[in-house]
Amino acid sequence: MNRISPIKHLALIFVAVAMVLSACTPAATSEPQTIEITKIVAGTPVVEQVVVTATPLPEATAAPKPTGKITLWGWKAALDTIKGGVLDDFKNEYPDIEVEIVELSTNDLYQKLLLAISAGTGAPDISVIENSHLAQYVDLGGLTDLTDRVTPYLDKMNQYKWHDAQMDGKYYAMPWDSGPVVLYYRRDVFKAAGLPDDPDGVSQAIATWDDYLNACKTIKEKTHADCFALNKANNYGRLYEMMLWQQGLGYYNEQGEITADSPENIATLEKMVEFWDAGVVSDQQEWTDGWYAELGSNETPIASIVEAAWMGVFLKTFIAPGTAGNWGVALMPAVKAGQVRSANDGGSTMVIPAQSENPDAAWAFIEFALGREESQLKMFAISDFIPSLETTYSNAMFIEPDSFFGGQVTRKVYTEVVKQIPQAYVYGPNYTLMNGFISTAVQKVAAGQMSATDALKEAAEAIRLQTGTD
Amino acid sequence: MTSKLNFPRLLNDILLYGLLIGVSIFMILPFFWMLSTSLKDADEIFRIPPILISSHSNLKAYLYLAQEYNIFGVLKNTFVIASLATAAQLVFCSLGGYGFAKFKFPGKTALFGFLLGTMIIPFTIIMVPLFFIMRDLNWIDKFQPLIIPSAANAFGIFFMRQYISSIEDELMDAARIDGASEFGIYRRIILPIILPGLTSLGLIFFMSSWNSFLWPLIILKSQENFTLPLVIRSMIGPVGRTVYDVQMAASIISIIPLLIIFLVFQRRFVEGITAGAVKG
Amino acid sequence: MLESDVLSPSRKSPAPPRSHLWRDIVKARWPYLFVSPFYLFFLAFGLYPVAFSIYLSFTQWKGNGPIRFIGLNNYSLLLHDNVFWQSMLNGVLLFFIYVPIMTLLALVLAVILNSRRVRGFKLFRTLIFMPYITNMVAAGFTFQILLNEKYGLLNYLFGIFHLPAVPWLESVWGARISLGLLVTWAWLGYNMIIMLAGLQTIPNELNEAALIDGANPQQAFFLVTIPLLRPVILFSVVLSTMGSFNLFTEGFALFSGSRGHGPVNSAITPLIAIYEQAFGNFKFGYASAMSYVYFAIIFALTLLQVRYFGRED
Repeated sequence: MNRISPIKHLALIFVAVAMVLSACTPAATSEPQTIEITKIVAGTPVVEQVVVTATPLPEATAAPKPTGKITLWGWKAALDTIKGGVLDDFKNEYPDIEVEIVELSTNDLYQKLLLAISAGTGAPDISVIENSHLAQYVDLGGLTDLTDRVTPYLDKMNQYKWHDAQMDGKYYAMPWDSGPVVLYYRRDVFKAAGLPDDPDGVSQAIATWDDYLNACKTIKEKTHADCFALNKANNYGRLYEMMLWQQGLGYYNEQGEITADSPENIATLEKMVEFWDAGVVSDQQEWTDGWYAELGSNETPIASIVEAAWMGVFLKTFIAPGTAGNWGVALMPAVKAGQVRSANDGGSTMVIPAQSENPDAAWAFIEFALGREESQLKMFAISDFIPSLETTYSNAMFIEPDSFFGGQVTRKVYTEVVKQIPQAYVYGPNYTLMNGFISTAVQKVAAGQMSATDALKEAAEAIRLQTGTD
Repeated sequence: MTSKLNFPRLLNDILLYGLLIGVSIFMILPFFWMLSTSLKDADEIFRIPPILISSHSNLKAYLYLAQEYNIFGVLKNTFVIASLATAAQLVFCSLGGYGFAKFKFPGKTALFGFLLGTMIIPFTIIMVPLFFIMRDLNWIDKFQPLIIPSAANAFGIFFMRQYISSIEDELMDAARIDGASEFGIYRRIILPIILPGLTSLGLIFFMSSWNSFLWPLIILKSQENFTLPLVIRSMIGPVGRTVYDVQMAASIISIIPLLIIFLVFQRRFVEGITAGAVKG
Repeated sequence: MLESDVLSPSRKSPAPPRSHLWRDIVKARWPYLFVSPFYLFFLAFGLYPVAFSIYLSFTQWKGNGPIRFIGLNNYSLLLHDNVFWQSMLNGVLLFFIYVPIMTLLALVLAVILNSRRVRGFKLFRTLIFMPYITNMVAAGFTFQILLNEKYGLLNYLFGIFHLPAVPWLESVWGARISLGLLVTWAWLGYNMIIMLAGLQTIPNELNEAALIDGANPQQAFFLVTIPLLRPVILFSVVLSTMGSFNLFTEGFALFSGSRGHGPVNSAITPLIAIYEQAFGNFKFGYASAMSYVYFAIIFALTLLQVRYFGRED
């Protein structure tokens, strides 16, 4: 763990005192700033004035580049991307900053981070955190306030990403990538079923979930293929969450009240149940071999899958390389005609734990990696994870056709979709807890044990009880 | 024995052997499957019909383990922890057992009763506070928590006390008359005699530490500090395939050392686990 | 060979004067030294955690920040915690699923092996005991492969016998049975061995005496051997009961996809629930309260079992 030698300790105190003294000069006063942000609320874009309390940075007169050593925690996929796309460039730009990379599994990382924060020692300077878990750590405390640093990026990133990063008007994370949800479909299966097989045709024909249900029935009838995988016994609730997200709903609302059993939430679940009732879905569980098999099969394929953009990469690379050319990307169906055809699943951010002794160097890295177009583009080239930094979308990479998808310019679809992602209330400080209860509720409904209404009410009550004392 | 073929007896024998063989197959099958899966290529694992033994069995999974997962380091970790834990436990439990078995001292019954009573406390209750104690001692992600807290455990002392009780007092009295120190008596007289018992107990402790999962899961965080069960579990992939062949290879590696030890020390092993049950 | 205490207060004789007591204590400094490590360790790693967790159970704490005292809130919340009570129910169900069968099977196997009729005693004993030395993580993941609904060996064998494929890990009861299978596989050998040991302590003469007295072999077995085996059988059943609640690794590995919950929470065990509250949801006070309620129930159950079983004499 971090043991500081007494001399270093004194030096730090000296520096701290110097900084405090210099900050006391009458020049710097903090004023609230007003920024315009465009949010999607209930399907329509809404321009909001957001007041941000930011302390302006002290006069940046040829500020010396930060130096020192920083540790970065992340999981394998994230770190591989960083190592391949950013690390060398960063070293060139900031030769005096040494970056130590520590790889952990996501589970271990979250625990170790919690541990370090509560122990007051041992936290890294930077940690990658998935959006689903971010609010839990913001709520926990122990993260550095990044408000003043991220202010220039507030309108450059996908808007919805900031929701989980902020608390009481302050921001604690920098967005990295987003997970815009689309409809991946098999061209060959759709064609065999007599449905349109070009992306625009599919997007038009399958404009709502009801349209999707009808299409699934047609597909089943004409080709015997299952429409998509929707596991019953071990359902994680992911599809359900995507359907909630696109409506701007979630497990709670703006006021913090639990909405898991609201009429809209119930109706959404019932809509999903219709697919089970119609017998058009397969019972494969995500990330199991049966699931991989049907996605990668040419003889007995699954007709489609609704998932985030990173699924496209996985299909291409290791799940279904043998099906190249047979896939297309269409817009996710809307719940009601004319409503939002976009949601989020996944995505990550970076944070600086408050314990960091070198927040300037840490921020230098984060800004370099995530705020700088070139870095995001390089990482994108490696991982295909859609950057949250919208200014990258004008790059030529995003208009390249993809032969795996029959020559479609898929990235353009992703970037258009990602800008439509509405503000939703799925992720939050208690996401894992809520997801646990809701998943059980979905499983119960799937097993025929309870109606959607009863199951969601039961889950919502449990959530209220469990979080009420929080 | 009459040479007449005795049908009821034959049928009886067939049933008995059938049952024994059937159960034995059930017991062995998972091991066999572990081994055969570890030798398969990744895409041979989930096939209909299941492949019993792959025609091109290979050691790729094991190589992968050595290169990517540092399996020898993990093996070493597991071995070091189990050895140290066992050594510590044997020392303290034999000392404690000796003290209770062969000495009179004020409050002995109460103290021993208290010791027995502590065996009721399940790990679940102390799990959380113990974790924070380890955190405050800065022992998270280190080996100490897996060795020290359980070093003097009630079961071991109980076992040793039973075992040592049967040693004749005269041996010790004679030694004392000869001027030996108490500790010397323990070292030179008691220890050699109880060696079989120590072996039995040691085997139990060793195996328990080797196979333990929950507490190491809570304490160990960095890949380089993992024990075998932890590394097996770390191979479940949320995204991407769970590398079953590699996982099974790691499983085989986690079992073989214990298997060898068990086969060599079978008698002691059995002695150890039956001691608590039969003597009561 | 419990030596009776020199200073037992239950003795009618008056307690020796203080000076003798002190002298005895000083004289006994060696045994005190020998047994003290246990108490020291227990103080630090046993008593203190117990006290702290009792305290924690009345608080709310995230592991970071202040510890908030909230009285009995955790316990009242626990009353409504479906997941926890489901886990306790799962323990009960699991008990009935595997304990009777496993105990009986262990007994039968022990008897068979104990009778001198069967050859290959050592071989069978070794083979049947081997699963006991396996770590449950490896075992759990192996069973995942074997019990796979589509590709698993077990359903394939079922298919050969024209039996339908069973959703072992994908249905509520299938999950429970799968867990029972895993646990049986792991502990059958152990239970068989302790019953074997018990059988071997019963002198043959008793059985022969019964036979001479006119009993047939079955009667001799049931009326002589079994009653004498009662302590061992009780021991086995008590251990198995504690086992069916104490599971963590088995369910955690077998149902790794749902972090040990199983379909619709059919496989979650109390330990998994407690672990999740503590290290998943960071609710350390609540987890402590849960562990105490769990302990109380198990303790009562075990007491009842020993009382009931022991009374039939």
